Amino acid sequence: MQNMQVELGPLKLKNPVLAASGTFGFGEEFSSFFDLHELGALVVNGITLKPKQGNPPPRVVETPAGMLNAIGLQNPGLDVFLADELPRLKNCRAAIIVNIAGETEDDYVILARELSTTEGICAIELNLSCPNVKKGGILFGTAAHTIDKLVTKVRKASNLPLIVKLSPNVTDIAELARAAENGGADILSLINTLRGMVIDTAGRRPFLGNITGGLSGPAVRPVAVRAVYEVYRAVSIPIIGMGGIVNVQDALQFFMAGAQAVAVGTASFVDPFAIPRLIAGLHSYLESQNIVGINEIVGAAHSF
Amino acid sequence: MMFFKGQVKKITELTFNQYCLLLENLQAAKKAVPGQFLHIRIREGLAPFLRRPFSIAGTSPREGTVSVIFRIVGEGTAMLSHLQPGENLDCLGPLGSGFETIDKAACSVLIAGGIGAAPLLFLARKLTDEKKKVFLFYGASTASELIPLKKYLPSEVEIHWATEDGSAGYEGLVTGLFVKALKKGLKPEEIFACGPRPMLQALALKNDQWNFPLQLSLEERMACGIGACQGCALKTKSGDEIGYRMVCRDGPVFHSYEVVW
Ligand SMILES: Cc1cc2nc3c(=O)[nH]c(=O)nc-3n(C[C@H](O)[C@H](O)[C@H](O)COP(=O)(O)OP(=O)(O)OC[C@H]3O[C@@H](n4cnc5c(N)ncnc54)[C@H](O)[C@@H]3O)c2cc1C
Ligand SMILES: Cc1cc2nc3c(=O)[nH]c(=O)nc-3n(C[C@H](O)[C@H](O)[C@H](O)COP(=O)(O)O)c2cc1C
Ligand code: FES
Repeated sequence: MQNMQVELGPLKLKNPVLAASGTFGFGEEFSSFFDLHELGALVVNGITLKPKQGNPPPRVVETPAGMLNAIGLQNPGLDVFLADELPRLKNCRAAIIVNIAGETEDDYVILARELSTTEGICAIELNLSCPNVKKGGILFGTAAHTIDKLVTKVRKASNLPLIVKLSPNVTDIAELARAAENGGADILSLINTLRGMVIDTAGRRPFLGNITGGLSGPAVRPVAVRAVYEVYRAVSIPIIGMGGIVNVQDALQFFMAGAQAVAVGTASFVDPFAIPRLIAGLHSYLESQNIVGINEIVGAAHSF
Repeated sequence: MMFFKGQVKKITELTFNQYCLLLENLQAAKKAVPGQFLHIRIREGLAPFLRRPFSIAGTSPREGTVSVIFRIVGEGTAMLSHLQPGENLDCLGPLGSGFETIDKAACSVLIAGGIGAAPLLFLARKLTDEKKKVFLFYGASTASELIPLKKYLPSEVEIHWATEDGSAGYEGLVTGLFVKALKKGLKPEEIFACGPRPMLQALALKNDQWNFPLQLSLEERMACGIGACQGCALKTKSGDEIGYRMVCRDGPVFHSYEVVW
């Protein structure tokens, strides 16, 4: 009997496939396609303390095997999230992880504290890696000492499992991973989007309203796999791998590079059933290979 | 909202570069209302990567078909034009909210720029069913780009043509043709428009003086098409509040007074 359950440190999930933050809204849209209870976990849209309007359009553009987005963390803010979205989310019985972003350290601390006293949330994911907002986010996420300091503070404010999401837009992602582990992160998730740009040649101007955006989708997969591979060697906490995952073979690369769980983002835009398909596919894979649990293959590519 | 496989029944070239795609799916045909759209996966694989949105141009609930009228502008639409009958297309839809027609209105005006005619064809049918007098003002850059729309419309609809180069109908923009009709005494009680953004903007600005009930079908770049990614933002106002709403979920049809240009 194959066991799809995974334990990411303090976080137990029924299977290792998560819906990535910002690509699954608050779940509502996808609930008409499949039962969200099937998800390993649902990582909701990035939440900030105050409501955020987001960036001017155009906010998305297709690129070879991927897309750029510059949403700019449009969200209703913590209070509305807690009052309106969370109760609805709880009804769908998925494990809920809340992705948070702040402009200051205090923002993160307050968000983490408030969420820790709320029922129905199984972990917090610190977004230190949004490339599309001017203040906060990635500013905290590109230097080891700021990550360590911030994670330490948030760690004290919350007893929920703490995931730190890392940016690939750095020189040495392993160093930042170590800083997050030092600060007290329970889990790391990577990668967020890669900064990119498209020019509208007819208009002779940047295509996106925000000028630059974050690249996601299959185009980034090799970068993401490499990042997971490097981070796996540098830390001893579990990793949630993501970046361009569409099918079982893609996910396997992440597990073998060292991820204990994976998240699917952009693929859900193309195929709303991408996640349930992947969960079913992984199950069949384990069965066909006589593998009892995912852990048997986690990090396999490090000991060939 | 739903997912379906639409079998290609027929694909017809209407004029150079513009096609009508007829898809078979009974549920979609029964459910769709004018103004809604389909989010179509052109083919599996990575190119094109994202789905493509297209307005529903008509349905036949009896035959279980839905039609889309499209213009080739890039890779995805070019591939769409090469589909063969019998192939299955992966579709999301009908998506978005439709046009709201006014019960009491007796005279309805449709203003279409280019391929923007698509959703208005579907709407024309509804309006004539509501026993309204319907005028369609339809413009394109030149005569060869005008789709022979007559056969897709109820015979009662009165069509007025415009081309920018004057090669057919009125010479100039379709908005100019409409203004001319107003001067001659046309009294619209509701207006629906779809076309290039500058056309819709010009119309919306003029309507600040006219104050006709005006609804616009707008386009924006989309990823998910279902309201999850917040990619297809449109700046809108409601009272004093200005913010972004999603074309795929909150539109694609908006009241003209809601849009911030
Ligand atoms: C709600 C809605 C309804 C539409 N209805 C119709 C219709 O009935 N008939 C029709 O011919 N076209 C319609 N369009 C435009 C149509 O979606 C684009 O022409 C099509 O996506 C172009 O794809 P492509 O691969 O050929 O072009 P490319 O330019 O190669 O496409 C590249 C990317 O840009 C996007 N894109 C390009 N042009 C547009 C556009 N005008 N609007 C939104 N995204 C665009 C594509 O979806 C794709 O992601 C509609 C758009 C929207 C948003
Ligand atoms: C439209 C969009 C919005 C996103 N918003 C967030 C966000 O709010 N917070 C976050 O941590 N990551 C966000 N991401 C990043 C994804 O969670 C994920 O890390 C990235 O897209 C790579 O995975 P993918 O290639 O499977 O999409 C967003 C990505 C996309 C495409
Ligand atoms: S396209 Fe994703 S929200 Fe509209």
